[in-house]
Amino acid sequence: MPQIRLQNLIKRYGHVEVLHGIDLNMAENEFTVLVGPSGCGKSTTLRMIAGLETVSDGEIFFGDQPVGHLEPKDRGLAMVFQDYALYPHMDVAHNISFALRLQKRPKEEIKAKVKEVAEIVGLTDYLQRKPGALSGGQRQRVAMARALAKDSDIFLFDEPLSNLDAKLRGQMRAELAIMRHRVQKNMIYVTHDQIEAMTLADRIVVMSDGYIQQQGSPEELFKHPANKFVAGFLGSPPMNFLDSELIDLEDTLYAAGEGFRIAIPADKAHALRQSDNAVTLGIRPSDLSYAPDAPPGLGLDLEVIVSEYVGAQSVLLCVCGQANVTVELKSETPIALGETLRFAVRPEGIHLFDRKTGTAL
Amino acid sequence: MQYERQNPAFYALLAALIFMSVGPILLMFVNSFKLDVDIIGGRTGLLFLPTIRNYETALCDVLWYEPDHLDFCSLKFGGAFINSLIIALASTVITLVIGCMAAYALVRFRFMGRDTISLSTLMVRMVPPAVLLVPVFGLWNNEFCIDKATMVGGWIRDTFGGRGDVCLAGTHSGIILVYVAMNLPFVIWILQSFIVQVPRSLEEAARVDGAGPFQVFFKIVLPLIKPGLAAAAIFTFRIAWNEYLLASALSDRNTKTVPILIVNNMSEFNVEWGVIMATGMLLAIPPIIFTLFASRQIITGMTAGAVKG
Repeated sequence: MPQIRLQNLIKRYGHVEVLHGIDLNMAENEFTVLVGPSGCGKSTTLRMIAGLETVSDGEIFFGDQPVGHLEPKDRGLAMVFQDYALYPHMDVAHNISFALRLQKRPKEEIKAKVKEVAEIVGLTDYLQRKPGALSGGQRQRVAMARALAKDSDIFLFDEPLSNLDAKLRGQMRAELAIMRHRVQKNMIYVTHDQIEAMTLADRIVVMSDGYIQQQGSPEELFKHPANKFVAGFLGSPPMNFLDSELIDLEDTLYAAGEGFRIAIPADKAHALRQSDNAVTLGIRPSDLSYAPDAPPGLGLDLEVIVSEYVGAQSVLLCVCGQANVTVELKSETPIALGETLRFAVRPEGIHLFDRKTGTAL
Repeated sequence: MQYERQNPAFYALLAALIFMSVGPILLMFVNSFKLDVDIIGGRTGLLFLPTIRNYETALCDVLWYEPDHLDFCSLKFGGAFINSLIIALASTVITLVIGCMAAYALVRFRFMGRDTISLSTLMVRMVPPAVLLVPVFGLWNNEFCIDKATMVGGWIRDTFGGRGDVCLAGTHSGIILVYVAMNLPFVIWILQSFIVQVPRSLEEAARVDGAGPFQVFFKIVLPLIKPGLAAAAIFTFRIAWNEYLLASALSDRNTKTVPILIVNNMSEFNVEWGVIMATGMLLAIPPIIFTLFASRQIITGMTAGAVKG
């Protein structure tokens, strides 16, 4: 129903400012993912939206209504906690219906709601169990069901999958995506896992050090990262960065560094001519391909150090001068360790960043 | 299953410990069925003619028949038993209610002087009850009184009877108050350690689910610290039930507790050992029942499954 709007949100602990003026607009029924490394302020932001942390400065709006001063119970939202936070002395049914019972809803309504929600998350057979008798994945479902039962317009998720093992995490991620289609509500999801962010989000907000680095759709952020941080954070394996200088040779702009020279496509080159010469060249591992006869200016010579076989793909760790470069290749490609091979760069995959500020050029 | 062979000295030590703890109770039990002549006569064997006469003497005011050997029922065990129950239960309940709230505040709220208060609760516990006796006796008799000339004082006198001003001394409330003050520090200290273990995210989840501060406390925190409450209840009840020193000074004829009654059996002419033993056995029953009941609440792993460990 409402849009959520954060206006110049600031959080201080004593004299230490940990969030520096967060401005964020989340559209109706949008699935927003706050992502960033540990300590970047994403969880604090979420907890401020929930009302569990006080707002030091700025305001939070649900629709047109400022809610920064309200108690969590008056904000009408549902939250899934990182550690599940199930009430251990209540069985699953009572856990799910806790909020409804606090609202003193009629018994039949509560019963029907619990049944409905338990079906959504697949817990119908476990309603009489205590949380202590459930597995990790089931506990996670109970936490999810408890949030769903509330009929809130806003759902908050605080790293809900981070306590699950890898296989279960993938499965729950898929279930979350399915649930997201059934329940069209505002959802804010905090994670440090960029895969979760990419797969679930309508809008990704990348945070670091208490600032928003960039926000937008997953595709937008992946294709056009605003700075070196975002570029390095999203994508797996992460983007390769090579220190280089811009050189103008015979009307073509090159990014050149130790042992390589890459031609920059003409459409990008024009804008770059005005900028500083010291840049960082960014290439994603998937934008490199094995091409022994790539013409000069379009390829890199890399010495292969390690080959990690991961099934259909192999990840090669290579060296170019002083820099480490990762390459993602089809496993069939014949590679011998210690060899120096030539790899072609996809022209669209060339990213350039200002070496000092890190902003994309 | 293979058990490790223990040193014989280990069993000897165990036997000694068991004898030391069970011995006195056994002695009391056996002697409570003997006549005073047999007890004092030094024939301490197990061969004697058991009699329930001591119990009849002890319970003479609650028995439905009049025991043959008694001319006059001097021992008011029934009344003292009721007094003991009232005082022990009331002080336990009050101590727990105040204690769990105080402990919760000390653990979860941030306020000035929190650490000092937390520490000083334990320091108060270090004061021996005997030190309290004289000042409390003075205060209860002279300071905390309502003048009988005032309306409230007059009303209380008219309703409950008695002479002089209405004072705390000699009332149930006076004794209960001292016991609460005496046990509160330890109870707060015990419960603090239990409340710390309640995951904070549980309270946050409850707040998001729509619970106010009191609902969080009563619906989430309290059920989870049940084992702590039970332990504290056993502790408080036992102390209040057995306490002698303060009760002997602060009670009067109508409010004396069972421990005081037992000592009343001693005079300069005669010590009625048999009756003392019998009353002692009777005294031991309620705490045992209370402990059995309360200890069933002590289950480990109350918070299992709440949060991912």
